[in-house]
Amino acid sequence: MNVSVMQENLARGLSVVSRAVSTRSTLPVLGNVLIRTEDAGLKLTATNLEIGITYWVPGKIEKDGAITVPARLLTDIVAGLPSSERVELELQASNTLRIRCGRFESHVKGIDAEEFPAIPTAGERPTTRISQKVLKHALNQTTFAAASDEARPILTGVLWHFEGDQLTLAAADNYRIAVKTIATLDPVEETSLVVPARSLNELARVLNDTDDPVEVMLAPARNQVLFHLEGIDLVSRLIDGQFPNYQQVLPKGHTTRTVVDRDELFKAVRLAALIANAAANIVKLQVGADGGGVVVTAAAEVGDNEGLVEATVEGDGTTIAFNSRYLSDVLQNVTAEQFAIELNGPLSPGVFRPIGDDTYTHVVMPVRTTS
Amino acid sequence: MAHDRRVTERTILHVDLDAFFAAVEQRDRPELRGRPVVVGGGMPDQRGVVSAASYEARRFGIRSAMPLRTAGALCPEAVFLPVDGRKYQAVSREVMTILRRFTPLVEPISIDEAFLDVTASRALFGDGPTIGRTIRAAILAEVRLTASVGVASSKLVAKIASDLRKPDALVVVETGGEAAFLAPLAIQRLWGVGERTSAALAELGVTTMGELAALPNDLLVRRFGRHGAKLAERARGLDDDPVSEGAPVKSISHEHTFDIDTNDPVLIDKTLLAMADGVAGRLRSAGLRAATVQVKIRDSAFRTITRQRTLAEPTDLAQPIWRTALELARPEMRGIHVRLLGVGTSGFAEREQLTLFSEEAAGEDGRRRRATEAADAIRRRFGDRAVTRARLLGSGLPAPFERDPMKPLERRTGMIDRTTDPAGDSGRGSGRDSGGGGRSRGGGRRPVA
Repeated sequence: MNVSVMQENLARGLSVVSRAVSTRSTLPVLGNVLIRTEDAGLKLTATNLEIGITYWVPGKIEKDGAITVPARLLTDIVAGLPSSERVELELQASNTLRIRCGRFESHVKGIDAEEFPAIPTAGERPTTRISQKVLKHALNQTTFAAASDEARPILTGVLWHFEGDQLTLAAADNYRIAVKTIATLDPVEETSLVVPARSLNELARVLNDTDDPVEVMLAPARNQVLFHLEGIDLVSRLIDGQFPNYQQVLPKGHTTRTVVDRDELFKAVRLAALIANAAANIVKLQVGADGGGVVVTAAAEVGDNEGLVEATVEGDGTTIAFNSRYLSDVLQNVTAEQFAIELNGPLSPGVFRPIGDDTYTHVVMPVRTTS
Repeated sequence: MAHDRRVTERTILHVDLDAFFAAVEQRDRPELRGRPVVVGGGMPDQRGVVSAASYEARRFGIRSAMPLRTAGALCPEAVFLPVDGRKYQAVSREVMTILRRFTPLVEPISIDEAFLDVTASRALFGDGPTIGRTIRAAILAEVRLTASVGVASSKLVAKIASDLRKPDALVVVETGGEAAFLAPLAIQRLWGVGERTSAALAELGVTTMGELAALPNDLLVRRFGRHGAKLAERARGLDDDPVSEGAPVKSISHEHTFDIDTNDPVLIDKTLLAMADGVAGRLRSAGLRAATVQVKIRDSAFRTITRQRTLAEPTDLAQPIWRTALELARPEMRGIHVRLLGVGTSGFAEREQLTLFSEEAAGEDGRRRRATEAADAIRRRFGDRAVTRARLLGSGLPAPFERDPMKPLERRTGMIDRTTDPAGDSGRGSGRDSGGGGRSRGGGRRPVA
């Protein structure tokens, strides 16, 4: 193998695929990135067996070939090379990759490409296409709500429910749930799958803020889903099992509704969280207390905090306690100028809706407090 | 010269059982009396260290924390016995019960020692030395063990006093005589003086507390910072640390010191599981759920770190405690050999995070809870060893027991009716530890001798 690529293209490619590199695998080759000449360029591939990312870097091939080298080392070396320079990669004897760039020359020992697991890439007809911008936005609003611990594996994933030209994404961790509906460019027969939130975070990272579509290929038989955009293929395994029936836990009505400015509420919650940190992260929202507004309070042994947020309040008014982290998460990830919060008393779920976007719903379960 | 009022008014006792583990064995097996007895992780041909040595064994130079092999070489005729944690724990509880007769202000600092503030008890039981003598006699008569007692005006001096003429001794330091009492003693006897500090002090020509007390304050502060000023105060016997039987206990924890420092991930996982099991069992028997899990890791260089995390939902089940402990411990394990591991829980709150999918949650956690409750019922009926996890079978881990401070159950929780105190409470909490990571004072963690 002998190929020349531009430093910044190679560096960008390595930074994308290295997100999929397995950091603690018993299989040494999974700590490597696969480099293969293909299509007048270089294909970089990494996988941790949950997710695989392939990135195509344009280049000039002198001689075809393939090798795997430690991903971290190669990424660091390439990042340290002068930008806007040509990098020449040449496979030498005994699986050694020579990296030359300007006055620099490195040799890195690799593992034979044959040992790298096969990662599917696009090639089949896409099941559907989705605007990159729209999907990226939807992922940013949902994946954070997925469970991070493995107690219930199904909740570490995000439900993708296709129906007609609509896709509904739902992520939940048993204490909160985020639901977002977006449009697909091609209709899909009704189907559901659960994609690991970790994979979707990587997908969101590579999606661009453009209307150009990302192609989605469902391969339920292989238990995989594949995303293709210009120069990048991302394949993820799916999570087996039944996603909980979330629709039945979404509140149907409310007795109190308040509309608040997101920045103002976020500010108050962040301040209260500093105190709440010492008391199981409990912050209270007094909605409609003292003639309107929302009062955000926290109290712990270290001290207490109170912040008043201007708001319009309809209905009875109530006081409800939440884990401050869940409030911060939704206020941080869901960009809207204003939020409507719908409540049914202190022990019923709170519904957060961005004003002006009826395709998104976020539900947070409250905390029962004694006082 | 007038003494600090806070200090002069108090009478503090430090009660320390002599060669505790070994003494209990000698008490229960008369044939061992007068013979060198070594309690430790195994036989002298095994790897492992001495947990406790009888005074007969100490005459051969055997010390706590010494490899068993070395002990065997020093004294081949010594009797080597395994550690019977549960027995020592039960005996310890009897002793603490005796101590509580004399004052409610009892602060156990390990399985075999405690501080007592008897200032207010003098009217009832006589002065400090009299109470000290009465306690020694009561422990001997009722538990058939000897204890050394230090009587002084502060915890610091009382502890140094009890240690001075061990075993079976009462040492009284009169109020006002603290500085003179301490002056000839080696600085290593002071709290907060470890190898590094004593080496630094030696450079200044200081080896005794008298010499330390004589150093100018500003020199100490320059050399040791704030710690320096404290050092000189202590060397003069000034210490106003109160004896705290404490508010309701804020944490429940288990610790395990490995016989041999380890970096074996399987052993570490299993040890954490065993401790999570023990802690969760105690939470359940106290009717508590804990919101915060912490791990404590001490490496072979005696560096101690603690890490903690608050759970989304308070728990009394081993599984979430173990999982969290694992997640906290794993990143810290790289490149170190672990000497001690601890799993603790705190944040006992009635607060309850409501869940979205209660029905499904009952599927997973509910099954686990039912299994746990069934196992608890079996243990109550047939003993603690009747049921254990398959994973922990043959792991060679000792049944968890604590060298930690112990408190009566009702005080631990602050919410349990004395009359319903569940029999066979499996342990105690440690209020002092709740800060996490703090240096253990008063030698609470020293190997029990």
